[in-house]
Amino acid sequence: MSSHDHGHAIGGDHVPHVLPYAAYFATWGALMFFTIITVGASYVNFGPANLLIAVVIATLKATIVAAIFMHLWFDHRMHSMILGSAGLFLAIFIAFTMFDTESRGHLESITGERPADMSNPFLGGSARQKAMNALYPVGSNSVKLSAPGIVPGVFDVPAAPSASAAPEASATVSPEASASASASASVAASGSTSASVSGSVSAAPSASAPPKH
Amino acid sequence: MSASANDEKLSPDFHVAHHFDTADQQFDSARMGIWLFLVTEILFFGGLFCAFFIYRSWYFSSFVEAHHHLDKVMGAVNTCVLIFSSLTMALAVRSAQVNDKAKTVGFLIVTILCAFGFLVVKYFEYQHKIHDGLLPGVHFTAQGFSSPHPGTFFAVYFMMTGIHGLHVIIGIGLILWILLRAQRGDFSARYYAPVEGVGLYWHLVDLVWIYLFPLLYLVG
Amino acid sequence: MAQGVAVPGTHEDHPSPKAKNYINAEAGVWSWLTTVDHKRIGLMYLVSTLIAFALGGFFAILVRLELLTPKKTFMSGHMYNQAFTLHGAIMVFLFIIPSVPGALGNFLLPIMVGAKDVAFPKLNLMSLYLYWIGALFTLSSLVLGGLETGWTFYVPYSSTTGGAVIAVTFGVFVMGFSSILTGLNFVVTIHKLRAPGMGWFRLPLFLWATYATSLVQILATPVLAITLLLLLFEKAFQIGIFDPKLGGDPVLFQHFFWFYSHPAVYIMILPGFGIASELIAVHAHRKVFGYRAIAFSSVAIALIGFLVWGHHMFVSGQSELASTIFSALTFLVAVPTGIKMFNWISTLWRSSIAWTTPMAYAAAFLFLFAIGGLTGLFCGMLGTDMHIHDTYFVVAHFHYVMMGGTVVAFVGGLHHWWPKMTGKMYSDKLGKLSALLLFVGFNATFFPQFILGSRGMPRRYYNYLDQFQPLHQFSTVGSWIIGLAFLVALYNLLDSLKNGADAPDNPWGGLSLEWQTATPPPTENFPVTPRVTHGPYDYSDDRNATGASDS
Repeated sequence: MSSHDHGHAIGGDHVPHVLPYAAYFATWGALMFFTIITVGASYVNFGPANLLIAVVIATLKATIVAAIFMHLWFDHRMHSMILGSAGLFLAIFIAFTMFDTESRGHLESITGERPADMSNPFLGGSARQKAMNALYPVGSNSVKLSAPGIVPGVFDVPAAPSASAAPEASATVSPEASASASASASVAASGSTSASVSGSVSAAPSASAPPKH
Repeated sequence: MSASANDEKLSPDFHVAHHFDTADQQFDSARMGIWLFLVTEILFFGGLFCAFFIYRSWYFSSFVEAHHHLDKVMGAVNTCVLIFSSLTMALAVRSAQVNDKAKTVGFLIVTILCAFGFLVVKYFEYQHKIHDGLLPGVHFTAQGFSSPHPGTFFAVYFMMTGIHGLHVIIGIGLILWILLRAQRGDFSARYYAPVEGVGLYWHLVDLVWIYLFPLLYLVG
Repeated sequence: MAQGVAVPGTHEDHPSPKAKNYINAEAGVWSWLTTVDHKRIGLMYLVSTLIAFALGGFFAILVRLELLTPKKTFMSGHMYNQAFTLHGAIMVFLFIIPSVPGALGNFLLPIMVGAKDVAFPKLNLMSLYLYWIGALFTLSSLVLGGLETGWTFYVPYSSTTGGAVIAVTFGVFVMGFSSILTGLNFVVTIHKLRAPGMGWFRLPLFLWATYATSLVQILATPVLAITLLLLLFEKAFQIGIFDPKLGGDPVLFQHFFWFYSHPAVYIMILPGFGIASELIAVHAHRKVFGYRAIAFSSVAIALIGFLVWGHHMFVSGQSELASTIFSALTFLVAVPTGIKMFNWISTLWRSSIAWTTPMAYAAAFLFLFAIGGLTGLFCGMLGTDMHIHDTYFVVAHFHYVMMGGTVVAFVGGLHHWWPKMTGKMYSDKLGKLSALLLFVGFNATFFPQFILGSRGMPRRYYNYLDQFQPLHQFSTVGSWIIGLAFLVALYNLLDSLKNGADAPDNPWGGLSLEWQTATPPPTENFPVTPRVTHGPYDYSDDRNATGASDS
């Protein structure tokens, strides 16, 4: 609670709000306790929850520091809001950036429209065709519509995370045909459920299926 | 509590700046300014945290493998050092609030010593990494890694800890400045805004480390 | 005319124009360089940013001149790259971002809230010095071999081309601190230093806009700082954060950059909105219609502005999910912006418009910004953007917003507050002539670019197809008219310093606090701290007004 028995003397001189020593040492004790917990937790493997546990404990510690050492608990509410806004906008920053980085290529149907090799984006013409052929051997005679746009080996994400998830979405189209807008329109018209034809320049994404679901 | 000095002698050089009506208004403005500054600090570090989360998710195996090359013990020691320095900084502010000049100076000296201790440990860590070739980007020369992008982990590691270390160094300078002023008798219950401000900054340096330590050293 | 605001001590006749004011309070260059008076700092910002504007404008004229012919006209391709890069970098970082907050904001904000100065006067002076240092580093590229990356410093352009990338990046980094400190100072001043009676809803709308701008400066600029720092390290040490060969991601740079730079677009336009609100209310002598709606829409634009940065990256390789989300959120910005437009027009409706120079600029602003804002919706639409991305359509769009919006409002605001700042009246005829020339020249320059862009003329190209030449030539001629307009305005203002009549305290009949003090204001703004009793736009309103609930 922000107790306002401090600071606002009529005469204008600032009157500090002094906490007892015990509050400081108790805070320190709590911080050391949580440090031990977080180190201890790192020796146990919780799988994907490892990161979550570490962040939650760190946030607890940070809250304690802010509330007591930084006096937020006893301070104007405004200052808590200021700190909270930093957290909010940081969360927006990280979350919205990860909307991109965590789902690249999920809707990309025509892999050939992307740079074949992210580490060499200016590779063009026949060299690019060669790279494409290496990725999708001619013998297979098909391009998976749901293949992720990110080239395996450049990013070490699993090769095709969504390929098995949505097998019905993958149709076969010859690479030449996929380049022309009319062909992609015919793919869409032929009722392949979630085939999203957003690769070619003229096809508006709004014409394709909504993202992912 | 040791409110000993006479009221007339408290912060003799302090006067309310011409554009403020009261000392209270001046103090509140200063504190709000510091808090807004801390917001910019958080978002500044936030960019690196964003990069950390993205690359960790992309190169999970590399991050796990690379983080085993960080020294958990040194990291934990530094965590304790920084938390303790946060405590002494908070106590220094408290001492200024109750007009205890000797204790203010004493706690500030301990805080500075802790900051130097932190940097010494960091120095040994860096030396070890440089020796082993565990460096960012093109400078990564260590052998025997089975995952493809450990250099990215060390790019994030060196940027995060390097910028944090820079903040520790700046903090030492700031604490030294208020230490000298405290020694001169500038601060008292009437006027201690600079101690409070530097204190808030120092706690933020601690806060950032509270996140850096588990993310880099413990979960990779 | 001052029935709205009672300011003790200023209603008596002023003894003479030669009374002590902030300009003649102290003499000598040193007194200016060490001053902490917000008005002097504002004036130094004004001169600095106008010099930057002239330099940026010079490069703009060069770029347009080169585009007279489809092939080489008079400069090489590399020189062309450097010219448009410097035009963009100077206009954005040296002019638009610091101009309105730095010059008009610094001068007006403390007076408008009834304070003696900003909350941290020394920090304010430090902002100015940081701006100068950053500007010097940026301009050093002129002698360090130039910069060819465009103002956005995209990797891999910036991490692989030579020249002055490091110097310019560092300069912009330093100017970022200047911007942060200014914003911080303004927020604290508005929160803590309002005069007695100056409630939040008695703040002039210019201050609401400046407040929203300051929030963005505080929240977004640090991300630019870390972006540029990472870029410096990438370039100097090849740490691989943005280099795909080393596992990095160049698109991540664009996320970092636009997380700052899209909100920065609102750092540029929000103060323009604020100025427009002042100009329209004062020169139409009409209580602003929907005061609260305009005030809150400023803050709403600032906050929504943080959710839409990905619309700059629709063709960057960003994921379709992110593009869809960013595109949908982009349309939200149109809501508060539309609220503002309609409220301004409702304010003008059946008001008693004084057809002064500032009003002429405000009218130009309304017209040009409407076009700029609406064409922004085309660019935010995913499918349309595929076609017009990186074409002259986008160039025309953001010039209609940045120049038709912010610059026109800034010059209008300059004419509005010039008497207060300098104590001199300029020629109203010449002022209106400059506004007319600017309006004609601006549309001549940039309207053809919408057509060029929609027909496929890519931006930043040195050569172009022959069929585009007539429109390019039209545009180039328009740029000369713009240049002429600014020369007329500059002559008019400078001439007033020498030959202008002394300005009265309140030449336009404004009700906000800056018009209630002497002209030019004394060093501490008011002889006695003012006590505010009415809102800033409480003009007597003899219509059957509906929006009278704001006081």
